[in-house]
Amino acid sequence: MKTFFSKIADTLRRAPRWIYIALALALALIFPMLESWGLMETLWLRVGTRALVYVLLAVGLNLVLGETGLLHLGYVAFWAIGAYTTAILSSPRTARLLYMVQEHGIGKALTTVTQRTMQIPEELIGFHIGFGWVLLIAVLIAMLFGFILGIPTLRLRGDYLAIVTLAFGEITRITFNNWEPVTNGPGGIPGIMPPNIFGWVVDKPGEFFYLLLIVVVIVVWLLNNLKNSRIGRAWNALREDEIAAHHAGVHSTRVKMLAVVLSAGIAGLAGAIFGYYQQFINPQYFPFMQSTIIVCMVVLGGMGSIPGAIVGAVALDTLPEVIRQTFTKWLPDAFGPDFLPGVQAAVQTDFDRYRMLIFGFVVVLMVVFRPEGLLPNKLWRRETHEVDPREQEQTRQHLFDLEEGHPDLEA
Amino acid sequence: MSDVVLDFRSATKSFGGLKAVNDLSFQVNRGEILSLIGPNGSGKTTTFNLITGLYEPDSGDILLEGESIAGLRPDQIYEKGISRTFQLLRLFSNMSVLENVLVGMHGRTKSNAFSCMLRTPKMRREEQESVARAKELLALFPGRFPVARHSQIASSLSYANRRRLEIARALAAEPRLLLLDEPVAGMNPAESLEVMQQIKDLRDMGYTILMIEHDMNVIMGASDRLIAMDHGVKIAEGTPEDVANDPAVVEAYLGKRGAHTTA
Ligand SMILES: Nc1ncnc2c1ncn2[C@@H]1O[C@H](COP(=O)(O)OP(=O)(O)OP(=O)(O)O)[C@@H](O)[C@H]1O
Ligand SMILES: [Mg+2]
Repeated sequence: MKTFFSKIADTLRRAPRWIYIALALALALIFPMLESWGLMETLWLRVGTRALVYVLLAVGLNLVLGETGLLHLGYVAFWAIGAYTTAILSSPRTARLLYMVQEHGIGKALTTVTQRTMQIPEELIGFHIGFGWVLLIAVLIAMLFGFILGIPTLRLRGDYLAIVTLAFGEITRITFNNWEPVTNGPGGIPGIMPPNIFGWVVDKPGEFFYLLLIVVVIVVWLLNNLKNSRIGRAWNALREDEIAAHHAGVHSTRVKMLAVVLSAGIAGLAGAIFGYYQQFINPQYFPFMQSTIIVCMVVLGGMGSIPGAIVGAVALDTLPEVIRQTFTKWLPDAFGPDFLPGVQAAVQTDFDRYRMLIFGFVVVLMVVFRPEGLLPNKLWRRETHEVDPREQEQTRQHLFDLEEGHPDLEA
Repeated sequence: MSDVVLDFRSATKSFGGLKAVNDLSFQVNRGEILSLIGPNGSGKTTTFNLITGLYEPDSGDILLEGESIAGLRPDQIYEKGISRTFQLLRLFSNMSVLENVLVGMHGRTKSNAFSCMLRTPKMRREEQESVARAKELLALFPGRFPVARHSQIASSLSYANRRRLEIARALAAEPRLLLLDEPVAGMNPAESLEVMQQIKDLRDMGYTILMIEHDMNVIMGASDRLIAMDHGVKIAEGTPEDVANDPAVVEAYLGKRGAHTTA
C-alpha cells in the first residue's frame, strides 16, 4: 500500500512542470463553460473570477513578502488605488469632474463639487476613459504610491516596516472614505462602465474570468522570468542575508524599492480590473483584513513560490464559500432540511465573521504541519531542474572516491 | 602605475570609547598575500569592515589604486573591485550553490527589470555568460562542486565546502582585492592545507589577497607579508618569520610573562 502511494507521489514529482501548467490552464479555460452549459451555478463562476483577482494580488505581494522577505501589511492600499482609478475614470464622474475642471479650475472642482447637484452638457454624458488607458494610469499611480511608501520605509526592518505599511493601508482607505468630492466618500462610486477592448465589451462574469485569466498568465510569465534573473536572485539574497547581499554588490535599497514598486503596480492592475468587474466601488471593499488575507494566501502557498501563491489564493478564496455551501446546501440536501439547523442559521446570517476564523485556523494548521507552504519553492524547483543522470553518476563517483569520515560525505 | 592596490591611511574607528582601529596604516601590493594577525578583539575584522564600507572611518582615508573609497556603500566598493568573505559564514542558505555565486555577479551584470521580465536576447546572453563564469569559479575547487551539486541548496553543504563557496562568491566580483576573514577557521588540518594551497593558487592566478588568519601553519605557509595588530594598532610588519619572532608580537599573544619566558 505504502509503496503504491509513494510510487504515485514519485511519479507526480517527476512529471515535467509543463504538464501541471497545461492542466491548470485547461481547467481554467473550461471552468466558465461549465456555467454556460448549466453544470455549475453562477455563484461559483463569481467565486472563480474573484479568485483570479486574488491570484494577481498574491503573486504581487509574493514579490515583497516571499521573494524579498519584507512584511508588508498595507498591500490592500494599492488594490484600492487601482479600483478607485477605474471608478473615477470610467464612471459618469469622469465627465462631471472634467467638466468642472474646465469650467471652474482644478481647485474648485476637487473641493466644492458633489456629483448630486451637478448639471453637465448632454454631449458629455457617457464620456469615459478607455480601458487600456485606465489600466496604465492605475498601474502608474499605484507604482508612484509604492515608491512614495518605499522612500521612508525601506530603511526600516521587521516590525517597524509592518507597522508603517499597515498604517499606510489604513490611511489610504480613510482618505478614500473622506475625500468626498472625488470619491463620494462612504457612498462609493456606482455606474462603472464595462471595459470595451477593441469592441469586446466585457460585462459577464465569464468574460471577466477570461480577461483576468489572460492578465494572470501574462503577469505570472513576466514575474517568473524576473524571478529567474539577476534581480530575482538579488531579492532572494536580501531575504537570506542583507549584509552579505550588500557586500556581494546588491544595492539593497534600490532592489527592495523595485520589489515594492512592482508589487504595487500589480495590485493596481488587479484593482483596476476589479473595479470594472464590481461596477461599484466603496471603501468597505478594502479594510485592513484584506491585507492580512493576502498575506495568508502567500504564506499558505509557500513564501517565494509563484505556483504556491496561485494555489494559496485559489484555496483561501474558495474555502469559505465551500464551507458555507456545505452547511447551507449540500448537507441539508443530503440529510434533509433540518440538518443542524443552528449551524445553518449561523452560517447564513453572519458568515463573514466566521470567515476570518477559518483563515486563521487554516494558517495555524499550516504553520504547524507544513511551514514551508503547500507548494514550496524548493519542491517546485527540484522538479524543474531535473539533474542529468550523468552528472549524478559523477557525484556518486566522487563521493565514492573519498575516504570515510571526509566532510564531503555529509554534504 | 604603482604597485599598491590598497592604501590604508591612518584610519581610525571607535565604538564608544573603544578605539577598535587606531590610526592604522598599511598597504597591500599587487599580487601578494598579505596576512593580518593579532589576538582576539585586536581590530582585524573591523579593518575589513572599514575597507568594505560597512563602517566609515572616523578619520583617515582608504584608497583603492589611488582612488578614495572611504564612505562609499558596500555595494559601491564591491563594484570598485573589493570583495570579501566573512569570519562567521554568510551564505544565502536557501539558495542553490550556483545561485550563491551568481548573486556575486549582480553588481557586474547590467540587465534591467524590463529586459529580465521579457528575457531579451541580450539578457539571456548575459545570463549564459554569468552561469558559465560561475561554473568556472566553482571548478577552481576541483572535486568539491561537481555539477550535480550546483543545484543543491547552500545549507546542505559541508562546513568546509560552505567556506569554499563563499570564496567562489567573492571571486565572482572579479576583485582587484580579495579579503578573506579567517578562511580556514573551523577546518581540520587536512582541509586547512588544501584551502591554503587554493589560496596560493589564486595569488598565482594574479589575485591580490588580504587575509585574516589565526592558523599559524596557514599564515607561515601562505603569506608573503604579515602585519600584526593589537588593540587597533599595528605592532609589527614584515616577512612571516620576522613578525612571528618579533618580541612585541609574542608579547601581544602571550602576555608580558610569556614574552620573557620565550625570549
Ligand atoms: N559594531 C561594533 N560595535 C561595538 N564594538 C565593536 C563592534 N565591532 C567590533 N567591536 C569591538 O571592536 C574590537 C575589535 O573587534 P574585531 O571584530 O575587529 O576584532 P578581531 O581582531 O576581528 O577579533 P577576532 O580575532 O576575535 O575576530 C572588539 O573589542 C570588538 O568588541
Ligand atoms: Mg575578526
